[in-house]
Amino acid sequence: MAGIRLHVISSLVLVAVGKCARDPSVYVRKSAANALPKLYDLRLEEHTSAIEEIVGILLNDQSPGVVGAAAAAFASICPSNFSLIERNYRRLCEILPDVEEWGQIILIGILLRFVIARHGLVEESIMFFLHSTKSGKSEKDGEASKISNKEDTGYGSKNDDFGLGADVSGNIDLEFSNMVSRCYIEGPDEYLSRLSYANTGPSELNVAQFTSGKSNDDVKILLQCTSPLLWSHNSAVVLAAAGVHWIMAPMENVKKIVKPLLFLLRSSNASKYVVLCNIQVFAKAMPSLFAPHFEDFFICSSDSYQIKTLKLEILSSIVTESTISFVFKEFQDYIRDPDRRFAADTVAAIGLCSQRLPDTATTCLEGLLALTRQEFLSSDFGSVDGEAGVLIQAIMSIQSIIKQDPPSHEKVIIQLIRSLDSVKVPAARAIIIWMVGEYSSLGETIPRTLSTVLKYLAWHFTSEALETKLQILNSIVKVLLCAEGQDIQSFKRVLNYVLELAECDLNYDVRDRARFLRKILSSNLDSQGLEEETIILSPNKDLAYVLSGHIFGAQTKSSSPEPINYRFYLPGSLSQIVLHAAPGYEPLPKPCSLLRDDNLDQGTNGLERARNSDSFDTDETDSLSGSLDEEGASDYGSEHSISGSNVSGGSNETGSASEGDDNTDPLIQISDVGNAFENQLGVSHSGSADLGELISKRALESWLDDQPNSSNTSTSEQSQVRISTARISIGDIRHQVKSKSYTLLDPANGNGLKVDYSFSSEVSTISPHLVSVEVFFKNCSSETMSDILLEDEESNKDSNSADQTLVATDSSLTSHNNVPILVPIEEITYLEPGQTAKRIIQVRFHHHLLPLKLALSYNGNNLPVKLRPDIGYFVKPLPMNIEAFTDKESRLPGMFEYVRSCTFTDHIGELNKDKGDNLVVKDNFLVICQCLALKMLGNANLFLVSVDMPVSTNLDDASGLRLRFSSEILSNSIPCLITITVEGKCNDPLQVSVKVNCEETVFGLNLLNRVVNFLAESSLSPL
Amino acid sequence: MPPLMAIEFLCRVADVLSDYLGGLNEDVIKDNFVIVYELLDEMIDNGFPLTTEPNILREMIAQPNIVSKVLSVVTGNSSNVSETLPGATASCVPWRTSDPKYANNEVYVDLVEEMDATINRDGVLVKCEIYGEVQVNSHLSGLPDLTLSFANPSILDDVRFHPCVRFRPWESHQILSFVPPDGQFKLMSYRVKKLKSTPIYVKPQLTSDAGTCRVNVMVGIRIDPGKTIDSITIQFKLPPCILSADLTSNHGTVNILTNKTCSWSIGRIPKDKAPSMSGTFVLETGLERLHVFPTFQVSFRIMGVALSGLQIDKLDLKNLPNRPYKGFRALTRAGEFEVRS
Repeated sequence: MAGIRLHVISSLVLVAVGKCARDPSVYVRKSAANALPKLYDLRLEEHTSAIEEIVGILLNDQSPGVVGAAAAAFASICPSNFSLIERNYRRLCEILPDVEEWGQIILIGILLRFVIARHGLVEESIMFFLHSTKSGKSEKDGEASKISNKEDTGYGSKNDDFGLGADVSGNIDLEFSNMVSRCYIEGPDEYLSRLSYANTGPSELNVAQFTSGKSNDDVKILLQCTSPLLWSHNSAVVLAAAGVHWIMAPMENVKKIVKPLLFLLRSSNASKYVVLCNIQVFAKAMPSLFAPHFEDFFICSSDSYQIKTLKLEILSSIVTESTISFVFKEFQDYIRDPDRRFAADTVAAIGLCSQRLPDTATTCLEGLLALTRQEFLSSDFGSVDGEAGVLIQAIMSIQSIIKQDPPSHEKVIIQLIRSLDSVKVPAARAIIIWMVGEYSSLGETIPRTLSTVLKYLAWHFTSEALETKLQILNSIVKVLLCAEGQDIQSFKRVLNYVLELAECDLNYDVRDRARFLRKILSSNLDSQGLEEETIILSPNKDLAYVLSGHIFGAQTKSSSPEPINYRFYLPGSLSQIVLHAAPGYEPLPKPCSLLRDDNLDQGTNGLERARNSDSFDTDETDSLSGSLDEEGASDYGSEHSISGSNVSGGSNETGSASEGDDNTDPLIQISDVGNAFENQLGVSHSGSADLGELISKRALESWLDDQPNSSNTSTSEQSQVRISTARISIGDIRHQVKSKSYTLLDPANGNGLKVDYSFSSEVSTISPHLVSVEVFFKNCSSETMSDILLEDEESNKDSNSADQTLVATDSSLTSHNNVPILVPIEEITYLEPGQTAKRIIQVRFHHHLLPLKLALSYNGNNLPVKLRPDIGYFVKPLPMNIEAFTDKESRLPGMFEYVRSCTFTDHIGELNKDKGDNLVVKDNFLVICQCLALKMLGNANLFLVSVDMPVSTNLDDASGLRLRFSSEILSNSIPCLITITVEGKCNDPLQVSVKVNCEETVFGLNLLNRVVNFLAESSLSPL
Repeated sequence: MPPLMAIEFLCRVADVLSDYLGGLNEDVIKDNFVIVYELLDEMIDNGFPLTTEPNILREMIAQPNIVSKVLSVVTGNSSNVSETLPGATASCVPWRTSDPKYANNEVYVDLVEEMDATINRDGVLVKCEIYGEVQVNSHLSGLPDLTLSFANPSILDDVRFHPCVRFRPWESHQILSFVPPDGQFKLMSYRVKKLKSTPIYVKPQLTSDAGTCRVNVMVGIRIDPGKTIDSITIQFKLPPCILSADLTSNHGTVNILTNKTCSWSIGRIPKDKAPSMSGTFVLETGLERLHVFPTFQVSFRIMGVALSGLQIDKLDLKNLPNRPYKGFRALTRAGEFEVRS
């Protein structure tokens, strides 16, 4: 049924599925689970929460078959809704081995994501190990290197026209080559880790996000339950389980995955390729893992070419001192393989091996030289392309080996030069000639042979191929520039001869090159006449030399076979195979992005205490448990969701605002702790009004104020830099949001009764016209008050005849809309002195600007009070992603768009505060974002869509910072978009321009005014 | 969705289809399009694998046979999807049909091993390992509980199990405890590494000079496994630089196929002489010597022997009404057995 993609029947189907989800038959429940993604596919926004609820029920099922299907539904419907998993985590783990295989694959992925999000990475795991090696570095060049990471892959292709771009991109190139060299010298370990983080959303991880695998039960149980799956006969399950172990398992246990992975190599060709791709990454990161099993990567003649190359690459990355001899024997066999392309790759692999193990370089060289000699014979009739390829590759490998340590390989160079006569492949000749130029001044014998070689080259110049001609020109210039003594004259003659030849060449490239060289070396050549003068290198020539060195050095480099695999994705994912993020690829959630509430509370408490220490460990909180406030907080946090809904009048809609949140931001889902704290504040201190309590209250309040400050670190941890403009996601901002409270009744006017109210971000469940308002009653007098009731004036119109006319219109309006102005609240029968009570009222304001008149009755008196509306709460958050936002925005141009600007000063205080504690280095940007977002969310019921940060060189310039909020008007669900653009320096007052896009013009304008008002008003005024 | 999952699923589909249709090619699929469609419909739903267990599929969709064909022609009812839902889908052992009944209970355990070996140009055994499968064919009534133990489980290097195998007993005692599916299935696959020798040897010799290349390949028994080695075949691909080849053998037949593959089928090795094949290749003009050498792929079969030395200790059956018949077999054949020249 669900397969019928009709919107009309979808709600019926949903009901049916909901029923089936509770059916006694396993098969029916399973089918229900299978139907859910189909329903979800219809994209009916209103059903999302219901569907998720059913997913939750099904995940809770006892039968493994159902859980498997439910997992699949979960993954396709709400992959980031970890709260569903959290409830059942342990059971899911235990049931995992019994789930059917396809479900297992999905479920493993889900559990892995959950654990990472919940507990962070494991301390003993490879990931941590890799991370710690780079942590020293990441402090300094974290940001910069990440940006260049992004560029390096693109840069690889640019490498070809490197000669031109060298000056322009000099800066990046340095970093790039630095990275590549580091990658080869120190082993690719840290390189991998950095990149894998760069791809999985670059995040500044700190120690706090690692949890100990040994102490953490959740991690342990996951590893325990996935390890038998390594024996599964479904290769996908094995790979998924191996991925979990790879990421989570302690170093010493990672070995476990090796054999199962190798066993997978016996399956079909296609899966073999996939497995090898993954092994390749593992092997590169941790060669020791696969080193003992090198035999498994020996090549079968039946393997496809792709598999052969992969195996070669793995072999060359895992080879060790002890195994190199076996591997070389194998390689020698491979060179004889009929597939010459593969043979060429083998030769390249030999080169790579010798680079990895410098000790073996000599052996490699000998082998390669023998090979080249042999190849000369066969390449006499170099018609076969493959042979040429092998030869070129061989010489290139030799070249790369020599490059590592030129002096010790002098003889090899000479040998190669001697063989010039027999080498016929232009590319190979060019490389040898390049070596002549490059190492012309090396050692004893080479300089002596030079003149002969050059004469020989000049003699053959006309018969050479284009590539070789160019290289001859370059080399002669290089030789000339390095030469000393009487040789110079002969070199010059040779050069002149060659240049003349070149200028008459048929090919314009050669002619161009010749003219260019003649120009650049003109001073050198002119001095030919003054034979007695020894030539001192002029700066000009120096430059020329450097330039030529640069240009030609780079040219040969670009053709050398560097594996371009710099991108790493999750093991087993499609992206890892195709090496770019495939659609639907989701990196692991940010470590620790999902905290248990009490964890968070304790964490921030810990931070409040030890705000200066950058790293907060969850262990640290043990020592802090003495504080009374904290106990209250953690007590509260542990059963927060229950009490939260109790206090706030049973509205279970808190989560719904963020359930559709695509921005992988699970934190918001936990709900508004900020509000909850306030509630708690109200409740826990209601007992007495004495001074001591007041002080502690203030302490708590100041702590609340401190929160934005203290949680900066956690925000920066989660800061996520993307490609074009950096985008920060401020995950836990909701916790810090504190809504403003207004006075409804002063104690002075109300005989000691104080009534405050604040707008709550909760959306009324009864009618969209209602706005929720939290009202706090406090008895400041010494007498008990009774029968406090807040009600609509309309009901009291007899007593308040003065306002009758107005009320009458109100009432007509009310009846017209058929919605009560005020949802009646239960009466507070008694309020002891000092006691505080809280009620949530739901009010329908007639107009978003005009105050509403209410009657407050207590002790038998009636007092008229005015409830002033806040337009910021006439909207409700409308979760959407950035694409949806820009799309909507583009549809509301012209008259639906209003802009005003104001100055924003709040952040200055924050920034100055930061200067006080020097230990914490905070990003100014983050502080500003935080302030702005807090201010916005604290004064209006909005959804923070994105924070865009400009990638600018000037760290102090906040211009271009852009925050986007989305909301929809309560009464008619018209979307209302707010964009804030910041202009100015970080430390000065910022010029903020606010743009509102809304179809309802009057409302939009008023909202804009309101936003501008509260942004402009200083935070110094008491909240 | 992970790529391996897709690949694995496709492999499964191919298995099931060839199981149903007795082969897998375009014509067969065309002929049995209805069945293929029904199978796919059951196996995948909304892009997610649904029922892939062959046993259950067989219960839901009847296998094609003459009777059903006749029936469908007569009645015009082309569907062979069973009306009722198989009971197994709801049970806790989804791989087993709910309650099969057999007059004579029997269970067969086969050890099928494939030998992968690589011998390099110097005649040294570079790699030799066995990839084996324990295949069980069970026709048991009720819900039996089987326990299979090996005499020497320590030689197993690595294992993979059918989902019916319980992991705990294997972890603790290396015992396979399982409730078998009905019919033929692969209980486990294993790998034994680092074997020291191969049952037969293949010695190729290639010498080339002056544009021709002499080939001589000798085959013989190295270690007698106790049973006869039969269907020995040696295949190799001629290098591309060879213009023509002339090969003869003193035993068996030599064929050169159009795609430059040469196969020499020996069959059994005779008692009195060692089979050998010899001949000459004519190289491309201008080429003095052969510089690329072919790889010889050897295949053979030995009945009754598991070369890895794995031995089944005993098979216990519980939950059975009457004594079943138990049978064991073993078979070794060559997998990727390669000799480089």
